[in-house]
Amino acid sequence: MSAQTLHHTPTRRGGGIGPALTRHRGILIALAVFIALFLTVDLISPGPFSYFEFSFMSGGGATLALAAMGQTVVVLTGGFDLSAGAVIALVNVVLGNGMGPDITSQILFGFVALGIGAAVGAVNGFLVAYLRMQPIVVTLSTMFIVQGITLLLMDKPGGAIAPEFMSFFVGDAIPGVLPAPVVWIAVAALVWTLIKSSRFGVGLYAVGGDEEAARAAGLATAWVKFRAYVVAGLFYGAAGAFISAQTGSADPLVGRSMLLPIFAAVALGGTVLGGGRGGAIGSIIGAYTLMIAVNILLVLNVSAYYSSVAEGTIIILAVLAGSLNRHSPLATYIRLGLLKLRARSNGTLARAHPGTPNRPLLPKARKMDMGVPASWLARHRDTLRFMVPAWIGLVLVLGVTHLVYGNTLTNPGYFNSLIVLSSFLIILALGQGAAILTGGLDLSVPWMITLVGIVVAGLVRGADDAVLWAVPLGLALGTGLGALNGVGIVLFGLPPIVMTLAMNGILQGAALVYSGGTPDGFASPAMRWVMTGHLLGVTPAVWLVGVFVIAAVVLLGRTTFGRRIYAVGNSPTVARLSGVGVGGTLIGVYALSGFCAALVGILLACFSGQASLGMGDEYLLPSIAVVVVGGALITGGRGHYLGMLGGVLLLMALSTLLAGTTLPSSVRDIIFGAVVLGAVLALRERSH
Amino acid sequence: MTRIRNSIAAACLGLLATGAAVSAPGDAAAQDKKHKIFLSMSYIGNDWQAEASNMIKAMAAHPDMAGKVDLQVQVSGPNAQKQIQQINSMVQAGAEAIVVYPISPTALNQVVKNACGKGVVVIAYDAEISEPCAYNVSIDQEEAGRVTAEWLAEKMNGKGNIIAITGVPGTSVDTLRTKAAKAVFSKHPDMKIVAEAPGMWSQAVARTELSKILATQGWDRIDGLWMQVGCFTANQMQLEAGIPEDKLKPCAGEGSNGGRVQMLPAGTAVEGANGAYKPMGAPRISYASPPYSGALALKLAVKKLEGGEIARNTVLPLPVVTSETAKLCAEGTWTEMANGCNVFQPSIVSNPGWFASIFSAETPEVALQAALVGQPEAKK
Repeated sequence: MSAQTLHHTPTRRGGGIGPALTRHRGILIALAVFIALFLTVDLISPGPFSYFEFSFMSGGGATLALAAMGQTVVVLTGGFDLSAGAVIALVNVVLGNGMGPDITSQILFGFVALGIGAAVGAVNGFLVAYLRMQPIVVTLSTMFIVQGITLLLMDKPGGAIAPEFMSFFVGDAIPGVLPAPVVWIAVAALVWTLIKSSRFGVGLYAVGGDEEAARAAGLATAWVKFRAYVVAGLFYGAAGAFISAQTGSADPLVGRSMLLPIFAAVALGGTVLGGGRGGAIGSIIGAYTLMIAVNILLVLNVSAYYSSVAEGTIIILAVLAGSLNRHSPLATYIRLGLLKLRARSNGTLARAHPGTPNRPLLPKARKMDMGVPASWLARHRDTLRFMVPAWIGLVLVLGVTHLVYGNTLTNPGYFNSLIVLSSFLIILALGQGAAILTGGLDLSVPWMITLVGIVVAGLVRGADDAVLWAVPLGLALGTGLGALNGVGIVLFGLPPIVMTLAMNGILQGAALVYSGGTPDGFASPAMRWVMTGHLLGVTPAVWLVGVFVIAAVVLLGRTTFGRRIYAVGNSPTVARLSGVGVGGTLIGVYALSGFCAALVGILLACFSGQASLGMGDEYLLPSIAVVVVGGALITGGRGHYLGMLGGVLLLMALSTLLAGTTLPSSVRDIIFGAVVLGAVLALRERSH
Repeated sequence: MTRIRNSIAAACLGLLATGAAVSAPGDAAAQDKKHKIFLSMSYIGNDWQAEASNMIKAMAAHPDMAGKVDLQVQVSGPNAQKQIQQINSMVQAGAEAIVVYPISPTALNQVVKNACGKGVVVIAYDAEISEPCAYNVSIDQEEAGRVTAEWLAEKMNGKGNIIAITGVPGTSVDTLRTKAAKAVFSKHPDMKIVAEAPGMWSQAVARTELSKILATQGWDRIDGLWMQVGCFTANQMQLEAGIPEDKLKPCAGEGSNGGRVQMLPAGTAVEGANGAYKPMGAPRISYASPPYSGALALKLAVKKLEGGEIARNTVLPLPVVTSETAKLCAEGTWTEMANGCNVFQPSIVSNPGWFASIFSAETPEVALQAALVGQPEAKK
């Protein structure tokens, strides 16, 4: 995100074809990429492109396209909506359970679908716009609550959708000529075009571009944001209705795996996370590009282990095709590099003149005697306000745990287990937190963890002396691959979500190929001792966590690198003008995140005794959740590591409390969401 | 410039020509005999899926099958939308049969119905597809829940505290197994589930969830465990907590090789034992969704394409092994397993989470080497 803002070139407004082309370049290129992919599939696959193919391809991507359009509306305002997949599943389950065979019931449930979406959207919108809560925390909580409600309504796939309802959405609009999904997507595109040209549409871009400026210009920003979430909800409702028609049944888990593709489609379509630029038409193209990747893998007969690698590569290439031109980051860096070289050969480089002071000389600050210096509390009030809720939440959860089980606060074993279990997220929070502080995200965490865990366990194979070189090697591998994420983001201007998501797929392929599908390594006795043994009364990992936390606080708060992270997050342009190496800092941040994921992979292997495929999957959403629950801003620039630490301990204490019960997992999801929401309600910014 | 372009074009043409020359006779011959079969897998990133995929590949490579089958393997990931699109493209690409691991038992119904309409044989393994025209190969999930719960109730003499680690909430498999098990427990008023957590069918998650439960209740308050996956880990954690091998709690759970090795009497000589991956006479019942189901599905698909008749629903015998019936294999050939062995040497299977229920009387083409590296058994 930051890399984009950095290299954004203002486009001239005006009449004529030229400027119009420039203005819509993003969409045009996305469209060109899609057409190229489509032609590839059509050329390689046997037989001519039939109406049947047209029909199923248009239907195949429609759900994703509708959902991505909704997400785009929120992203344009600078928001983030994690509840999209959950809403789609809820709509699917309600329709599958409730719809009757008669036509009235079908029409009624069509509106129910939209109503559910709008209702969840209204809750999200109210909390984000009027209570000024962070979008990611709000929608993460509603995601859990909606998922819980969905499971309460239906605990396994089933249900049936009326045939007329199905053919209305996925049948033929004009038999043999026009499939219904094409019509629906066209309707959705028309709705978006109307929204975009309305006052509300202009407001969306204004709020996303600069909220302060929009408010100063007299825009009711809260009302715009509220409506953005409601509109997004309507789109998710439509997507839910569509998937119901497409599958003819209901499945409570249908939305879980849609979240990442939704964000990938938005990013592929040229909408910038952080807000203000892009549009929903691009997201439609992005969605269909993602779906056509399935066909490409099939016609190229890519073997199973490599399919995630191929898919990741297709995503990267699709975005790259749109960014390589003379304004691209790579071109800018080359131009700057050449400029520097020329300056050096001409002797005009600032550094070549040691005689001239390159900093303004300020008079030495005199000690001011203005009475009592501001108290520590006053100086850190802002930081504290954002990180304290997580800690208060933790104390409350500990209290409840004590009431329920009676032996918690007096039991050192409980705290020992809590810290050991939290250690993974405590470490991940630093890497993910640093990425979020710069306004990015690291989605490659799951398979970074798994790959490094498998590689290290495979090299160690139970031998203590191999640990000495295998562990540093594993950490170096993670750091290097993380730096590669950074290079892709900085040099090629790839959105962090796209780059790290693609990297995740590539790493998954690497892990499968390396292990041949069955990882065969195992941890050595010394490694297992770290997570399960005893040292001075506690598990050795507890000491490790202590050292790590101190190092993390120092790194983020007291080092140049730490300061630069905050500077880049607040504004990459300002940071650059202040002499911060933005590119280097970003690469460093993703390398740090890779290092942290690698460390977690190794510790997980120590904890379980071996590394297994997929062991990192459980850590992606929590790693983001703890960072924001701990008070960091998803758009960057604000947050303290101790707050994130509180976030980790809160979430882990809560899930420990719930794990000891026999509540069904649906109810647990609802409680989990409600507690996170409640704890963070106090986070809202009261000022303004 | 033009010259370069021309020569590239010439080279390409040349390549095409040689390619055509080489492949043409082969293709013609292949089209006479080989059936075009596609495998649509959902997610490949876990032990079970990788093992099942190895066994399917081995089945296709077996001398009896290699001449009949042209198998293409595709992975759709965990997203039902993509699997729908994938199956549609397979139909377009001229599939005669599609072997599928369905992400959802219901979401694929429409696309499967459409495939059936075009004469494609669709056969699902492990999980089911509810569309009536599809063929299914799987175990009876309710039986799995019931049998394991009954074993645990008997071991605990019908009383005591249980920890239940379930699978992925919201899936048919998990719901059916868990409901059947709870129905058994409810017949024993003195048996009580004191804690229940979703284990997502992963040893790593089972460990995390068990650790959370044990943070608030100690091992001394637990009398037995019912887990869909995780008994190996549970035994490992008990040893770490200082519980001696002969005092391990009874555990009803998965068919991982690590768990099976633990079931062998303490002191049994095995090669490559390591840490908790060793014989300890653990009181266990071990069951599994067997990873050979995909290979069997492929075999059935070929049988159907060659004009044979196959059952709409093939219910596989539930592979159940108890501490009394656990028996070590020397090499893991099919013949050896047919004689009753069901546990593999840790030196051969170094991953304890690897699933050991790979024997079927119906599939003499595949055995241990198939599951490990995709190598079929030699032709008899």
